[in-house]
Amino acid sequence: MAQKSAETTKPPSKLRAFLAKSREYAPVWTLLVLFLFFSVYSDSFLTLENMGNILNQVSLLAIMGTGITFVLLTAQIDLSVSYMATFTGVVAAYYTAAHMAQPWPILVALLAAAFLGVINGVGTAWLGIPSFMVTLAMSLIASGLSLWLTHGRIIFDLPPLANILGSGRIFGIKWLVIVAALTLLAGHLILRYTRFGRYVYMTGANPKAAELAGVNTKGIVTAVMVIAAVTAGLAGVVGIGRLGSATPTAFDGMLIDAIGAVVLGGTSLFGGIGGIPQTVIGLLILGVLRNGLDQISVDIYMKTLITGIILLVALVFNIVFAGKKEG
Amino acid sequence: MDTTTPLLNLINVSKRFGGIHALKGIDFEVRPGEVHALVGENGAGKSTMMKILAGVITDYEGEMRWRGRPVRLKGPRHALDLGIAMIHQELSVMPELTVAENIFLGRQPLKGGVVDWPRMFREAEASLAELGFEHVNVRDTLDRYPLGVHQLVEIARAITSGAQLIIMDEPTSALSPMETHRLLELTRNLVEGGDKSVVYISHFLEEVTWVADRITVLRDGEKITTLKAKNADKQELVRLMLGKETEFFEESYIGAREVEDTHELREPVLTVRGLSKPRAFEDVSFELHAGEILGLYGLIGSGHFELGEALYGLLKPTSGEMVLSGKPLRGNPRRAIDRGVAYVPPSRRSGLFLEKPIYQNISLPWLAHISGFVPSVAKEVKVADEVIHRVGVRPPDPLKEVVFLSGGNQQKVAIARWLVELPKVFVVSEPTRGMDVGAKEEVMHILKEMSAAGVGVLLISSEPETILAAAERILVMAKGRIVEEFVDQQVTKEMLLAAAAGEMVEQPA
Repeated sequence: MAQKSAETTKPPSKLRAFLAKSREYAPVWTLLVLFLFFSVYSDSFLTLENMGNILNQVSLLAIMGTGITFVLLTAQIDLSVSYMATFTGVVAAYYTAAHMAQPWPILVALLAAAFLGVINGVGTAWLGIPSFMVTLAMSLIASGLSLWLTHGRIIFDLPPLANILGSGRIFGIKWLVIVAALTLLAGHLILRYTRFGRYVYMTGANPKAAELAGVNTKGIVTAVMVIAAVTAGLAGVVGIGRLGSATPTAFDGMLIDAIGAVVLGGTSLFGGIGGIPQTVIGLLILGVLRNGLDQISVDIYMKTLITGIILLVALVFNIVFAGKKEG
Repeated sequence: MDTTTPLLNLINVSKRFGGIHALKGIDFEVRPGEVHALVGENGAGKSTMMKILAGVITDYEGEMRWRGRPVRLKGPRHALDLGIAMIHQELSVMPELTVAENIFLGRQPLKGGVVDWPRMFREAEASLAELGFEHVNVRDTLDRYPLGVHQLVEIARAITSGAQLIIMDEPTSALSPMETHRLLELTRNLVEGGDKSVVYISHFLEEVTWVADRITVLRDGEKITTLKAKNADKQELVRLMLGKETEFFEESYIGAREVEDTHELREPVLTVRGLSKPRAFEDVSFELHAGEILGLYGLIGSGHFELGEALYGLLKPTSGEMVLSGKPLRGNPRRAIDRGVAYVPPSRRSGLFLEKPIYQNISLPWLAHISGFVPSVAKEVKVADEVIHRVGVRPPDPLKEVVFLSGGNQQKVAIARWLVELPKVFVVSEPTRGMDVGAKEEVMHILKEMSAAGVGVLLISSEPETILAAAERILVMAKGRIVEEFVDQQVTKEMLLAAAAGEMVEQPA
């Protein structure tokens, strides 16, 4: 009896260790399973062309997701990124239409995005407003600015650079994919190898302890909000080039996907854990899923439902097992 | 009540965690109407034993008997149903609810499916009156009362739920001396009737010898002895708990220390004049000298921790000045660090990154010094490795996450960080809270070495033992003011408590 009970204590700890490990690698397994599944059940999925399509499809999300990764690592969130992207695209197109000399419209647009990011950061870090509230308000402001600038119309005058980056190719590779890859790479290098990157992780892991160790946590939070705004802006600028026009709601719908991809990859919503490699996995999961569902001709009306369920399962993993870490 | 049958027995109880024996063949007995104290270092097996008594741990070897009959608890609920209630170190009260709701938490009297408030208030009042606390209004929310009342509410909850055996785990660690005194009296009153019993766990041997009928000493999972509290001698208890003797233990547990007047020979490194911050501290002035350990003692809420925060730039004083090496000190932690001020907060968790490796915890303030814009992990690890060996972190592996270390070793990491570049002033709050005696001694040793190297150490604590174990000069704060300074005299725990509490008595109630 006593021996038996002594043994029964062991499995839970092993199970927990296994779950902790699987939380870390769950996104990779998810990606592999989805990949194999679609490769088997669809003739058109596993082709070089389709792989290129997937990369193409997730590129805008990747640019936006880079900034979101920074924000989530500090345990904040930015719900305004997609509206920022729309707004930045609109500003770039607006000044191009107004015949401002190139490349100024793009720079002005990115600066405007950065400015809105500063407001997000100051509101969060210095005024102590929860970031989801500040950025929710900011999403309305960005959206409102887009509408006001365009008066609801579509602008077809785009900066030439946006056109090239959005729909041009070099050596057969889409510029869009290259921009996304470079953005992710830059994000990764900053997070992994710079002092600033370490501060980002430590601020998210324990803001109070970071402050006690002399880290300017308010500055860090502001900085990541600005980074998120600028990457969102970059996605907007490249995005209008891809679409061929700037509309006042062009990228609004990307919010869920962008945040979802980062979380799917395994970056913790509670800060301090995750990074760009995780985000890349998350982006690929979302890309493979979206693309694959098209390939196996699932009822188009079920696509969103299935994506939603997968996102929910990923969140359960993220929160249930991340929540255990302090216990 | 049959006083010959013990209320509770443990017979040859053992518990293993993996390969470690947390309890080895424990025999333990609680008689009706007694306070039975349990003492031992952290890790001696006290908490494992309590968890068995309270039904939290159910897979142990050996037998438990309740009123002479063998029982196997299925869980905490089962323990409660039998009449065993545990009062936790970290209180499980809801400060936003009324006192009455807290007493009847989870079992409010109902009438027609809704809470019968009048009855609940009436019964709550009756149960508090029984405990001798008529002045508490059960309709008030609990957060309007001090911690002592929170503790009381937990006890009232246990009693009204019909508990016969109440387990108290470090019940006085957060209480003021007056509250402690009342709790001890209350504990005695509880058992007077002869039908209720208390298992009382505490680090404070004076309390234990006062309140308990019998004392059981645990060490390394084994029962060393059970003795009558009347015959117990504190030094003897310490020896039994530790199985060894050192001067430090006597100093810290017996609570007396000779403070010397050597500070005047030294240079003042930090001068504080007329420092005030409303609702924290008022008109605080003192000097800290290079190479001294200045103790700052106060009860919880006396403003001593806030003073520490102000020195580190975490709180902005509204008036007064702080001068470090001749220049005013102000700003944020970063500037404080750069000026040579180091700080360890009273709560260990708020100062450490538990999920991050040791080296990252240690290098964070020094990243810019250790390497440039791109931190070099190799250099960080080297720096961390050196300082954790100096303070004796076990295991001394800089790549290990802090969460895997014991409390004492976590604290050593928190301190080791400030050995990378030796500060001028080291403000350290509650450095040994909740640590076992061995770890306490090690931490105190580090502080002494730092002061020997010329660092001015400001040791802030609400534990007289901590202050007495290391401080060469002692300031006592009460209600935000410095009320007493002990220099060049024999100081005892009683003197500290009296000084800290004196001011409170004068306040209108």
